[in-house]
Amino acid sequence: MTEDRHFNQKPRRKAEFTRPPNTLKAKVGSGGLSEEILNKAQTLLENNAVDFMPLAEIYLTSVMRGVEVAREKSESENAEMLIAQITYPTMQLKANGGMFHYHLVTRTADKLIQFLEVIESPDDEALEIIIAFHTTIRAIVMGRITGDGGKYGQDLLDALNEACLRYFDKHPHKHKDIDFDYIHKIDAPEA
Amino acid sequence: MTYQLHRISVLIVEDNQPMLEIAKSLLLTFGVGHVVGAQNGEVGFKRFCEHNPDIVIADWMMKPMDGISFTRMVRNDPRSPNAYVPIILMTGFSERRRVLQARDAGVTEFLVKPFNARDLYKRIAQVIERPRQFVRSEDFFGPDRRRSREAAGTISNYVGPFRRETDNTSPEFFKRLRDQQTEAHETLRVMREKSGLSSGDKFNIINPKDIDFQ
Repeated sequence: MTEDRHFNQKPRRKAEFTRPPNTLKAKVGSGGLSEEILNKAQTLLENNAVDFMPLAEIYLTSVMRGVEVAREKSESENAEMLIAQITYPTMQLKANGGMFHYHLVTRTADKLIQFLEVIESPDDEALEIIIAFHTTIRAIVMGRITGDGGKYGQDLLDALNEACLRYFDKHPHKHKDIDFDYIHKIDAPEA
Repeated sequence: MTYQLHRISVLIVEDNQPMLEIAKSLLLTFGVGHVVGAQNGEVGFKRFCEHNPDIVIADWMMKPMDGISFTRMVRNDPRSPNAYVPIILMTGFSERRRVLQARDAGVTEFLVKPFNARDLYKRIAQVIERPRQFVRSEDFFGPDRRRSREAAGTISNYVGPFRRETDNTSPEFFKRLRDQQTEAHETLRVMREKSGLSSGDKFNIINPKDIDFQ
């Protein structure tokens, strides 16, 4: 007897389930970690004195290299790949900024990633916006603006967000589905 | 009684040296007995085979081998000493499609950077307290991509941090959830009424601006 299913339904796949013994639990026992240990670890994290600037320089240079490659190639040429070359170093800025006290770098890079994730291709106007992000992040790092940057930081983010929205308004067909109000949904990281 | 983390070893695969040092320090502060570091997926797999750690924490973006390829090797390579090892993937990506990509490679937990000490601890507690069952199909081997209560087996005894709101089983929580649902249904009913839609109509045919919410 054949299985009764829709024509567009994928065939059911066979799968085996295994529950491996929880050796980890057996080794560590229970009870979690005390607040004292967690606070100590958090203090250690907050007091790390790693200089983010050299690391940021590497990633910023890489972003700029991605922009230059995208500028030289035609729009139709594997747009995903061109965008990815900019996205990856930006992701590193986002990931590492906050780890080394530069929360505003994380927020700004996060916004740039959101922009990169929705544009269809790195056209000239998109590249201008990316350069504006790059300049901003560079200024934050060079100015050693740690923390969230206060009102100044928020103003910068708002301005960049506005630039993105203007791009989307102007080219409604050039981006994938986007939540236009995303800026207000991001929690400000603790300074 | 607290976790006896000195009994376990952790492998961290991270190409960013300062980040690797920070992660190591955090784990040692938690009391982890042995922390091994590796600069990329290739070296990471070698260290994994040598040390057979209890937990692996890996970065995503690395060269020559990234965290996703490394995870696939740990899960599928015949040389792997423990294909069931919990793998926590650290990354700056938080978009849904990236999480799905990591999940489909066999990653156990996802840790978004930047993170704080509690975020890291929560992921470790998660792999200790709620291990996933494993699935083998034609094209996948790894932790069950559906997170079910049954898969954990220890949920009734679990006293650790909650991963998401729905892990909460308290009556107050469910009451609050029901109240929210009732309120949402009422809002939808009002919207339908004001826009002249019947209960079967979809909302995407109306423009929210056309609705008078006053």
